[in-house]
Amino acid sequence: MSAIVSVENVSKTYHLGKTEVPALRGVSLEIHAGEFLAVAGPSGSGKTTLLNLIGCVDTPTAGVVRVDGKDTSVLSERALTDLRLRRIGFIFQSFNLVPVLSVFQNVEFPLLLQGGLTRGERQRRVGELLQAVGLSDHARHRPSELSGGQRQRVAVARALVGRPRLVLADEPTANLDSTTGATIIDLMRDMNERDQTTFLFSTHDQKVMAHAHAVVRIADGQLQARETLQAAS
Amino acid sequence: MLLVDLQIASRNLLQHTRRNLFLAGALAATTALLVLLNGLVDGMKASLMESATTLMTGHVNVGGFYKVTSGTAAPLVTDYRKVLAETRKHVPELDYTTVRVRGYAKAVSEKSSMDLVLGGVEVEHEPGLHRVLQITAGRLDDLAQPGTLLLFEDQARRLEVKVGDVLTLSAPTTRGQSNTADVRVVAVARSVGLMSSFSAFLPAVTLRKLYNLREGNTGAIHLYLKDPSKAPEVAARLRDALAQAGWRVMDADPQPYWMKLFQKIPSEDWTGQKLDMTTWEDEMSFLSWIFSAVRVLSAILVFVLMVIVVVGILNTLAIAIRERTREIGTLRAIGMQRRKVRWLLLLEAGLLGAAGAGAGAVGALAIAALLNRAHIAVPASVEMFLMQQHLHLQTAPGRAFGYAAVLALVTTVASLLPATWAARLKPVTAMHHIG
Ligand SMILES: Nc1ncnc2c1ncn2[C@@H]1O[C@H](COP(=O)(O)OP(=O)(O)OP(=O)(O)O)[C@@H](O)[C@H]1O
Ligand SMILES: [Mg+2]
Repeated sequence: MSAIVSVENVSKTYHLGKTEVPALRGVSLEIHAGEFLAVAGPSGSGKTTLLNLIGCVDTPTAGVVRVDGKDTSVLSERALTDLRLRRIGFIFQSFNLVPVLSVFQNVEFPLLLQGGLTRGERQRRVGELLQAVGLSDHARHRPSELSGGQRQRVAVARALVGRPRLVLADEPTANLDSTTGATIIDLMRDMNERDQTTFLFSTHDQKVMAHAHAVVRIADGQLQARETLQAAS
Repeated sequence: MLLVDLQIASRNLLQHTRRNLFLAGALAATTALLVLLNGLVDGMKASLMESATTLMTGHVNVGGFYKVTSGTAAPLVTDYRKVLAETRKHVPELDYTTVRVRGYAKAVSEKSSMDLVLGGVEVEHEPGLHRVLQITAGRLDDLAQPGTLLLFEDQARRLEVKVGDVLTLSAPTTRGQSNTADVRVVAVARSVGLMSSFSAFLPAVTLRKLYNLREGNTGAIHLYLKDPSKAPEVAARLRDALAQAGWRVMDADPQPYWMKLFQKIPSEDWTGQKLDMTTWEDEMSFLSWIFSAVRVLSAILVFVLMVIVVVGILNTLAIAIRERTREIGTLRAIGMQRRKVRWLLLLEAGLLGAAGAGAGAVGALAIAALLNRAHIAVPASVEMFLMQQHLHLQTAPGRAFGYAAVLALVTTVASLLPATWAARLKPVTAMHHIG
């Protein structure tokens, strides 16, 4: 089975005035379809940088990032945007819902951007996902009327609605208490098991990490070996 | 998608009611001002057209000049009945005609004197005069008697005369000496702006006598058309047709006849008769500076207001974009193309512009309707410039909304810059965790 994501010897260096900050140093990683993978590491270790590169919102200084078989460094801005729209779902630490749209509309939004579905099809898909994340009763609410955990559930539904091959979540639980955080990770894992969507999320929380199938540890911009966790499932 | 776009844009506008209301208000005020000032100018023009075309000019005039020597000139159409017959053949749009003797004389009363531009009329054949003139003393119909005169209030005040008093008219003739005639004031009419400040009416026979004119000669034939907007076309056609028929015809020159009489004609090297076709706008062109002045003033005013509005829009959008940086980054991250981001912001500005300018247009139309309804008397001091006795704004909804559309468009175009700037925001900004 070919990898959905393949990171080959990637380095990323930020420039802060005259000083160079090496955020990633020669990182290689393959992610395969259906995986539920955590990236764990201390603050400043390069987790966000790695996810940004895989999420096609940033480009590496050296090395190759392939998403869905495409070398992201040769794609145009427009093609990258389209790749994000159709192949990748995002879950953000601060939820990042559109405040002026209802829960339903927030979830529906990527489908509108993708186009091609009828109103009925969109309604069915959004309805199913809201049911799956347990928010059917809140479809008409605005994000501001929801708790943090509920907002992140909406974000999970939004990330999945376009049927991406890969969902990226950078510290999705950092703004939640640990119990709520754990339920979000469990929800993500349910979704992963339900339709084999690949998940990659970052965390520095030991408890959250324990819910993943596998963990890659990162420190100082370098990856350690991948660990498979038995305990999780 | 468009529906959701509209929802996002309008709800974002409603989020910041205060600052957006302020901007929309400024836009509304600008639009309203534009509409009202234009209504005023058009109202002035309409009043001018109404009074001018009965008092001083037809929609089209067949006038002319007669020069005994090349250095002198009289405003004359000789043998006008032949000219009139030929004219009728070429103007199917004709409603009716009147014939006016033209003249110029110094009016001398016991106390004072002033220069008057004289119109010699056959008052029984002038239905327009009955309609437009508001007689405040005496009777208009008495002007049918020879040796009578109609003055406007301003003139009567200046000459210190009233109905029944006698004035002496002293007219310079082509031979250098002056002819005089005594006339009795039989009617005084309400002043109607600049026009009535120097023009007065007397029977055609009396004016002919003053100038020693034969009965078949007159000053001008006034043509009234069913559709006054056809005037320039008809004047041009007559110029060709009468030239073809053998008359000498002057080139088009948008000046009133009395300006030509004093300046242009005496300096030209020809003698005998020449015909001159003019439109009512030509004859009133000496007043066009007033319209130009009002238009220039309103243009400056509207421009300044527009600059303020545009700066306000730019500022507000810049704030909105800064506030929504993360939201825009998120939309970009989840797959919204740049041009779509730009479109959303343009839509927001466009909606604000349309709402503000639209409200301004509606408001202005309402204000204009109320003002017209109130029938406000114009103070005598400005009556001369407004050419109206009662304030009347002539507004057309179509035009008002046309202005509104233009201003909304300006707003939208101005927002192109910040919108493009927003579209260039990097999707990474969605990952920043501030706020
Ligand atoms: N835009 C940037 N400009 C300069 N340096 C940056 C930038 N983003 C990250 N860095 C630096 O790169 C290194 C890796 O940062 P990164 O955000 O990837 O770490 P992280 O593991 O996500 O940390 P955290 O757990 O705090 O989110 C850090 O030293 C950080 O200071
Ligand atoms: Mg991070």
